[in-house]
Amino acid sequence: MNIANLVLRIVLSASLAVSGAVHAYLYIHGYRDIPAVGPGFLVQGSVFCALALLILAGGPAWLQLVAAIGAAGSLVAFTLSRTVGLFGFTETDWQPSPYAAITVIAEVLTLLLVGTTALRQRPRASKDPLLYQRADGAGEPSSRLG
Amino acid sequence: MSADNDPTGMTRRQLIRHGAWFGAAVVLTVAGGEVISHVAGAAGSAGAAQQSRPALRFAQISDSHIGFTGPANPNVAETFSHAIGQINSLGYTPDFVIHTGDLTHLATPAQFDQVKQMLTGLNTPRVFTVPGEHDSTDDAGQKYRQAFGAGTRGDGWYSFDIAGVHLIGLVNTLNMQKLGHLGTDQLEFIEKDVAGLSSDTPIVVFSHIPLFAMYPDWGWGTEDAAQALSYLKRFSSVTCLNGHVHQLFSKTEGNVTFYSGTTTAYPLPPPGQGPAPKPVTLPAGKLRDALGIREVSYTKGQQALALKDQKLT
Repeated sequence: MNIANLVLRIVLSASLAVSGAVHAYLYIHGYRDIPAVGPGFLVQGSVFCALALLILAGGPAWLQLVAAIGAAGSLVAFTLSRTVGLFGFTETDWQPSPYAAITVIAEVLTLLLVGTTALRQRPRASKDPLLYQRADGAGEPSSRLG
Repeated sequence: MSADNDPTGMTRRQLIRHGAWFGAAVVLTVAGGEVISHVAGAAGSAGAAQQSRPALRFAQISDSHIGFTGPANPNVAETFSHAIGQINSLGYTPDFVIHTGDLTHLATPAQFDQVKQMLTGLNTPRVFTVPGEHDSTDDAGQKYRQAFGAGTRGDGWYSFDIAGVHLIGLVNTLNMQKLGHLGTDQLEFIEKDVAGLSSDTPIVVFSHIPLFAMYPDWGWGTEDAAQALSYLKRFSSVTCLNGHVHQLFSKTEGNVTFYSGTTTAYPLPPPGQGPAPKPVTLPAGKLRDALGIREVSYTKGQQALALKDQKLT
C-alpha cells in the first residue's frame, strides 16, 4: 500500500468526519427547527460520517467522488445562505462561530484532497477504469489478475 | 461468462463488491441519521433542548396599508388576513409578532380600528408595532399612539427584553423631510436604554424606515441613524428589522445586520427603478409572490438571529 495514498485517505476521512460531526451538532443544537435547512443538516451529517468511515476502511474511488460532490454542494448552500438565501433562510458572515468556518475549511480540504488523489491516480486510471479501483489503488487490480 | 474476462468491463466479483460498499454506505447513513435524530430527540425530552431550541421566536409583518384601494391590490384586508392566518399556521406560537409600520394607508380612525381588530386574530401572546409615515401623516402620530401607544415612551418608542434579547422599537417617521428622522429625544433614549446592558446581549431594533441608506433619493434611509447605531457599536450582535420598502433586502455593516421586510399589501419597485416608489401592479396571480411574512429565531449561544422569509401562500 502506498503510504502517501494512505495518509491522503486518513486526512480526507478526518475532514469529512469533522464536517459531518459539526452539521450533526448544529442539527441537534437548534438547526433542526429550521424548515428544509434542518433536515438538510441531518442528511449532510449522516452521509458525511458514513463516507468518512467507508473511505477510512478503504472504499472504492467513487466514494471520494460522492464526498467531493457533497462538499461542493455544502459550500454552495453555505454561499446561498449568506447571499440570496437558502429556502428563505439567511445567516451572516461566519455565524455560527466557529462552526461555519470549521465546516468551510473541512469542505475545501475535502475538495483539495479528492482532487489530489484523482491526479495521483490518473496514470493508472488510463489502464483501469476509476470505478474498478479502490481509493488506495490496492485490491481490485490484483484481484483481476487472479 | 464473457463479462468476467472483459478487461474494460466490470467483473461479477467487482459488481458484488461495489454493491456491498454501496449497501454499507446506505446502512451507515441511515444508522447515523437515526442516531443523530435520537440524540436530538433525547436532548429535547430531557430538557436540554431548553438551551438548544430557539430561545426566542417571533414573526414580522409589515406595510399592511389597510384602506389602500388600487389595482396593485384591490383587497389589502384580504391579503393581510391571509398573512395573519399564515403566522397562525407556523406550527408553533411565536413569542410575539412585530408589525413594522404602515398599518393603515391614510391613518383614519376607522382604518386604525380595522387593523387593530384584525391583529387580535394573531395567535401570539403579544403584538408590537412601530408607526409608518402613513400612520402619522396628518397628526404627528397622535391617532397611532391612541390605538397602539400604550406602554410606550416619548412619541411611541419603547424597549423590552425576552429570553436574554433586548428589543427596541423606534419611531423614525415623525418630523421628517425626505429621510427618516429619530430626533434628539429618541437618540437620548437609545443611549440610556442600552447603557446598562452587557456587550454580549443580542440587540434587535425595529423601525419602519431603514436605518441604513438603502436608497436615500427615495427617502429610504434615516438621516440620524448613524448616531443611534454608534450607541450599539459595542454589542456583538445587532439586528435591525424594517419595513417601508415593500421588498426583501439585507445588508451587513460591521456588527449590524439590516433586514428590510416585504409587505402584505403591494410591491414597490426595486431602488432606482423608475422615477418614484409607486405601487407596482403585477400580472394576475403574481401578487402573493411579492407579499409575505418573516420568521425570526434566536438560539442562545449563537450570535446571529436566523431569518426565514415566506411568500404569501
